[in-house]
Amino acid sequence: MSMVQLLQANALPRRTTKLRGRLLPYLLSLPALLVCIAILVPFVTAAIYSLQRYRLNLPYLRGFIGVDNYIDFLSDPAFWNTLRISLIYTAVTVLLELLLGLGIALLLRRPTRFHNAVSIMLLLPLMTAPAIAALMWKLMTNPGFGILSYLVSLFGVHDFKWASDPSTALFTVVLVDVWVYTPFIMILLLAGLRSLPRQPFEAAALDGVPASFVFFRITLPMLAPYIITASLFRLLDSIQQFDIIYAMTQGGPGDRLMVFQVQAYLEFFQYTNVGRSAALLMILWLITNILSNIFIKNWLRLRARAHSHA
Amino acid sequence: MARLELNSLTKAFGAVRCADDLSLTVEPGEIVAVFGPSGSGKTVLLRMIAGMFEPDDGDILIGGQSVVGASPERRGVGMAFQNFALFPHMTAQDNIASGLRAKETRSDAAARVKSIARLLKIEHVLGHAPRELSNGQKQRTALARALIGNPEVLLLDDPLRNVDAKLRYEMRLELPSLLRRGTAAVLYVTQDYREAMAIADRIAVLINGRLEQVARPDEIYGRPASVAVARLFGDPSINLAEVAPCVEQGGVFADISGSRVRLGPVDRHAEDDGACWLGVRPDDLLISAAAGEGGIPARIVAVTPMHEKAVMLLRFADGMEWLAALPSEAGIARADEDVFVRFAPEAALLFDRATGLRVGLPHRRYAA
Amino acid sequence: MDHSGLLGRIFRGVALTLVLVFFMFPIVWILMMSFQTNEQILRIPPRLLFEPTLANYEALISGQLRTAAGNLEISFMRNLFNSFVLSSAAVVLALLLGVPAAYAFARFKFRLGETIAFTLLSFRFAPPLLVLLPLSLYYQQLGLNDTYFGIVWVYQLIALPLILWIVRGYFEDISPDIEHAYRLAGHSWREAFTRIAVPLAGPGIAAAALLSFIFCWNNFVFALILASADKQPVTVGALAFVTASGIQYGQIAAAIVLSVLPTLLLALYAQRYLVEGLSLGAVKG
Repeated sequence: MSMVQLLQANALPRRTTKLRGRLLPYLLSLPALLVCIAILVPFVTAAIYSLQRYRLNLPYLRGFIGVDNYIDFLSDPAFWNTLRISLIYTAVTVLLELLLGLGIALLLRRPTRFHNAVSIMLLLPLMTAPAIAALMWKLMTNPGFGILSYLVSLFGVHDFKWASDPSTALFTVVLVDVWVYTPFIMILLLAGLRSLPRQPFEAAALDGVPASFVFFRITLPMLAPYIITASLFRLLDSIQQFDIIYAMTQGGPGDRLMVFQVQAYLEFFQYTNVGRSAALLMILWLITNILSNIFIKNWLRLRARAHSHA
Repeated sequence: MARLELNSLTKAFGAVRCADDLSLTVEPGEIVAVFGPSGSGKTVLLRMIAGMFEPDDGDILIGGQSVVGASPERRGVGMAFQNFALFPHMTAQDNIASGLRAKETRSDAAARVKSIARLLKIEHVLGHAPRELSNGQKQRTALARALIGNPEVLLLDDPLRNVDAKLRYEMRLELPSLLRRGTAAVLYVTQDYREAMAIADRIAVLINGRLEQVARPDEIYGRPASVAVARLFGDPSINLAEVAPCVEQGGVFADISGSRVRLGPVDRHAEDDGACWLGVRPDDLLISAAAGEGGIPARIVAVTPMHEKAVMLLRFADGMEWLAALPSEAGIARADEDVFVRFAPEAALLFDRATGLRVGLPHRRYAA
Repeated sequence: MDHSGLLGRIFRGVALTLVLVFFMFPIVWILMMSFQTNEQILRIPPRLLFEPTLANYEALISGQLRTAAGNLEISFMRNLFNSFVLSSAAVVLALLLGVPAAYAFARFKFRLGETIAFTLLSFRFAPPLLVLLPLSLYYQQLGLNDTYFGIVWVYQLIALPLILWIVRGYFEDISPDIEHAYRLAGHSWREAFTRIAVPLAGPGIAAAALLSFIFCWNNFVFALILASADKQPVTVGALAFVTASGIQYGQIAAAIVLSVLPTLLLALYAQRYLVEGLSLGAVKG
């Protein structure tokens, strides 16, 4: 059978084939769209809850109250505490992780076999579930037998209570966060550093430019997109931190570590105040949404770069 | 046996018109080169025929049957891509065999792959993966894949672009006979006018989505339809001068840099003495030290010896510069010499200044 | 940037040693604890040399925990099993949903596609509780609470953006001409997808799948809210186990080791792709 006959035999009405061709991308992404909707429905529901007086234990009181949940926050010290703790936690962890991650990436910059082995080893904390990591540190900071408690006692600090003391709880969870997430920044910046073009550095070396100048005027600016993307990534995760804090102290001692999501979780399950919990999460979402918009812009730029190299 | 017909094809991407009322017919067994500068719409044209883009308007017929809207696999079109587009995860053998349309038994398929591979001299690399092939072997594999299915229409998208000069030369000699093996209507896209002239039965010159001229290679070279076409063929490219031809003493004359030059006998166009472009190919210029009738005084600014000819940059009294290509053995002239430039009336091409279209003058036929 | 002086080299050596100690010590220490008896753990000062015991692992695997107060049934192996089931099923589902979509987003530029891709991406960064809390109420109505399917479905929130964006990048890197060539040879769209596009994006798909598995495994909050004891993965199970087991620290350590071992091994295996996965495809390692 010649191609022409084949064509005639298979000849579908033109429009059908054309239409099917045009529908194809939609058919392919239909399942993903479904997941999208499955996410968007609860999201919209949460937004509606946040405008309601809605307590699971008092269902008959349920009703629309506008932005009262939000207004209540303004005069609620617990809310301001949550906001403050979340911001401090985020700022401290991201800053520490950034400095440490950058430092380590610079140390491991040359791709020797040893450096590569070290960078792979450093990935292990990052691949540990944060909740489990918190447990590990809990065991190590146990006042009875924890190795870290023992070590600080060698320096004459007895009775160091780590996460169970309000004055050191933040320090302790930050320590765990830094342990888990510094490798994240490190590995991204290391990949960034190793992908930088060599010429500017070779030229600087030939001209005898001092190392500090090279670092601040060449390395840092060229690394900036990676630093920005990695930091925003961490900012977004850190301000929503739940696993480590919940596993470590459940927001305690007292309300010392009541970050957004832990507070919202307790509002929901402990106080069964759905409306308040939802309003709290909406505020968190607003913050993350602004951050994630900035993030996505930078991320897309990096992504385009990765794919032009490929 | 199927003829390929394009009827008033139109396609635009945003404001860019890639195809503008294109009509072209390719007979079975015929090779038509689509030639044009980059960005002129050659690749888009091939892709519309192959079914990767649909035209906005117009029709594509293969064997009299419209294929617009049909999916690529049903069009009976074979294609070789500029970047080869080999399947990296298959051997050359499997790459070629994938081009077999009909479901054949394995041994039949192997035999056919073998025979086409022998024809293209790649038998010894059939077991290799594409990354193990040289560019030349990749290109032959891609050609074999396009040819093996005996498509009704064969599209070649600048297949020699990415191979080295020696191989390109060899392939220019081999390709016409290879492509004429079957009865496919062949559309061959290239950016190299020499390649187009060497391989094709006819050349379709595509500029900004429009077909400027479709004709045999010698005709395109000797009787370009427009200034734009004339400029695309020839290296060095054609010399142009703004002239206002006038009729006197039974002939057409023009002033070039103050000298009166005879362009040819009077014909029916001679009355419109509007502004024209005069085109003379560098090969058609003659240089002599002696003044005389039709000689235009010029100074040789520079001489660039090329292997079989020398290219001279000439400057006329009015500042206009032309190039002349002369056989090297005639190389008496040196830079800074004052000379006289002549050309035979038959060598003169006149184009309307406003439309760019050629104004008829009797011409000799060029041999390609 | 080369501190080639002796001082510089000493500084780098010391710094690297400190870094290694800080990041590796907890893992090594917990691993050691998991082979110790309670008496060995409680000894002060702690000893680096000890006679290892497998008793902690035996207790976990047998599900029988002997304490001073008597025998305690533990379901830690059940948690481990749950983690495997949930993470694997989530990855399989995400691949089925995500790979065709990733292909569509890479090959066809259409607005709905971009909207889906970016919505999923932006929800990767939205507070998970925002979706989870209302979802838990819906789940109660739908009877999906505490079902494997219910948890696997929300795990798509983790796995799908990852697979979508990484695999999309791999599809974008394949020249469309390669698929066109295959189709012109008489193959349907579906054949070109399964025999050309998917095999060529294979490494990316595998990497994205492995990483999704790791991230699903490591997730805590989803199952904390949506699963009760018999569907809980190790992350939630281990936390409950700490409260239940009282002072059996060696067993806690062994449980931790067993919970992190699969992901650490997978991570080592897939380390070449980790950077790409962690940055959702924006940085190549």
